[in-house]
Amino acid sequence: MTDTPIASTRRNFLKLSISAAPAMVVGTHQAAAADAAAAYVPVYFTALEWAFLRAAAAQLIPADDLGPGAVEAGVSEFIDKQMATPWAEGRLWYMQGPFAPDAPATMGWQSKLVPREVYRLGIQDANGWTQQTYGALFADLSPDQQIEALQKIESGEASFAQVPAKTFFSILLANVREGFFSDPRHGGNRNLVGCTLIGFPGARADFMDWVDRDVSYPLPPVSIDGKRG
Amino acid sequence: MPYPSYARRTDQDVAALYAYFMHGVTPVQTDPVPNPSLRWLVTFWRKLFAPNPDKVAFDPNRCADATVARGAYLVQGAGHCGSCHTPRALTMQAKALDESGPAFLSGGVDLEGWIAINLRGNEAGGMGLWSAQDIVDSLKTGRNPHAAVVGPPMSLVTAHSMQYLSDEDLHAIAAYVKTLPASAGDQVGFAPSDATAKLLQAGVNDSHGAELYVDNCAGCHRSDAQGYSRVFPTLAGNPTVLSADPHSLVHLILAGSAMPVTQAMPSPLGMPGFAWRLSDEEVAQLATYVRTEWGNTAPPVGAETARKIRAQLSPAEQAAIAQAAHQTTRQP
Repeated sequence: MTDTPIASTRRNFLKLSISAAPAMVVGTHQAAAADAAAAYVPVYFTALEWAFLRAAAAQLIPADDLGPGAVEAGVSEFIDKQMATPWAEGRLWYMQGPFAPDAPATMGWQSKLVPREVYRLGIQDANGWTQQTYGALFADLSPDQQIEALQKIESGEASFAQVPAKTFFSILLANVREGFFSDPRHGGNRNLVGCTLIGFPGARADFMDWVDRDVSYPLPPVSIDGKRG
Repeated sequence: MPYPSYARRTDQDVAALYAYFMHGVTPVQTDPVPNPSLRWLVTFWRKLFAPNPDKVAFDPNRCADATVARGAYLVQGAGHCGSCHTPRALTMQAKALDESGPAFLSGGVDLEGWIAINLRGNEAGGMGLWSAQDIVDSLKTGRNPHAAVVGPPMSLVTAHSMQYLSDEDLHAIAAYVKTLPASAGDQVGFAPSDATAKLLQAGVNDSHGAELYVDNCAGCHRSDAQGYSRVFPTLAGNPTVLSADPHSLVHLILAGSAMPVTQAMPSPLGMPGFAWRLSDEEVAQLATYVRTEWGNTAPPVGAETARKIRAQLSPAEQAAIAQAAHQTTRQP
C-alpha cells in the first residue's frame, strides 16, 4: 500500500509527540523565547553594541543545568527598553558638579555621564580594550576569554579611556540582574525563568497558608499580568 | 417615581413629606432642560398596573408584631426595596408588591449591569444564613462580618439613604425581611465543605479555575474563601456569588466594586477589576470555580456571558480598565 509509509510516519510522530509532551511544553517556551529574541530590534543599541550586550549578559547569567540564562530571559531587551527611561538619562539624580569619583557610595552618582552614555562609551572602551588585548571584539572572543575580560573590567584592570571600567561593569551587572529578576512586564524575566530559578513565587500577594509550615512552596511563580511561569 | 410602592404610605407620612418639600427645602432658580414628555405613556401604564392607594393602604394588623409591621411598612413603602429586588413582568410591573406574592423580593432585576439579590429566606442565594444583625450592619455600614454591598446601585442606596435610618427602623426592616420564606425552585445551594480549602492549602490546583483563584483572588478572599471579616467578603455561601443569574459576579470580576462610604464605616474598601488581565474564557472559568467550590452550588458561567457583560461595561469602567492595563506597561 502506497500510503503505509506516511501512515506509519504519522503514527510514529504521534507516538513521539505523546511521549515527548511534557518536554515539549518546555521546548515550545524556549523556542518562543528564542524567536522573540531574534525578532527584537534594539531601539537604543547599535548592532555592534547589541552583540556585546548579549555576549556579556550570557556570561554574567549563563544558561546551564539550572535553567535558561540572561539572554534566554530577554535581559538584553530589558536593558534596551531601560535606556528609554528617565533613569537612563540621569533625570532621577542631581547631575551638576562637583563630581567626586572617590566619594563614598552614599553620596550618590558621581559622574557627568548618564547610564545611556556609560553604555555607549563603555562598550566602545571594552571592545577597544579586547581588540588591543585579545585581537578581537568582545562578542567574538572564546567563552573563557570573555569571562577573563569581564573579570578584568570588573576589577578595573582593563584600561578604559572614556568611562571607568568599574563603573561600566557595576551598571551592567546591576541591570542584568534587574532584567533577570524583575517582572516580565518590563521586558526581561521571560516566562518567569528568574523567579523559577530562585523559587520566588511572584505576584501572589498573600502567603498566609504557608506560614509556620515546614514545607516548600509548591506553586510556580506568577507575573503581575497573571501568567504562570 | 416608584409610586406603586409609595401608594402604601400613610396619609400622615405623605403630608409630612409635602410639608418638608414645601417648607424645608430652599427654592433655587433653575430652568429644566426641555425634553419630549413620555408622561402620557406612563399614564396608561399607571392605569393598568399601579395599585389604587386606597386599596393597598398599609394594614399593620396583617403582621406578627409591631416591629415586623414597621419593617413591612418601610420595606414596601418608602424603602421601595421591591422596585429592584422583585422581578418584573414583561410589561414592567413588579410581580408582587408585598409578601402576599411569592416573587416579592426574590431578586433578579438587572440595574446598570448589577443584579439585586434575593432577600427571601433562601439559604444559598438569599438571606437565609444572615442574622437580623447582619442585615442591619449591611444597611447601616455597607458591610457585615461576612458580606459587603456590591455594585453602585446598592452602594448609593446605602450611602445616601439606609445608613441614616434609626437603629429601631433598621432592626424593624431586618425583622420583616427575616419573615419571608425561601422562594421555590432554587437553582443554587450551599452545604459548607472544607474539601476545596484543603486542596488549595496543600498546593493542589486541579483546574485552571483553581489556578486563577489562587493567582487572582486568594490573596484577599483566602484559600478557605472566608476572606477577612468586614474587609474582604466571604465567598462561601455568599448570595452575590450564588445568584442564579451570575451577572453581578461576572461584572464584579471584570470591573471591581467599592464598598459605600458610611459614617459608621468610612473606608471605601474595594476590589479592583480584572478585565485587563483575564480573558472572557478565564473570567468564566473563575466565576464557575467560585460558584462550585467550598460547598457552593450554582450553574456554571460560560465565556459568552463574560463577553456580553464585558461589552456592556460603562465608559467609566472601560476607562478604569484601560488605565489599569496601561499601568502594567507604563515606563516610570
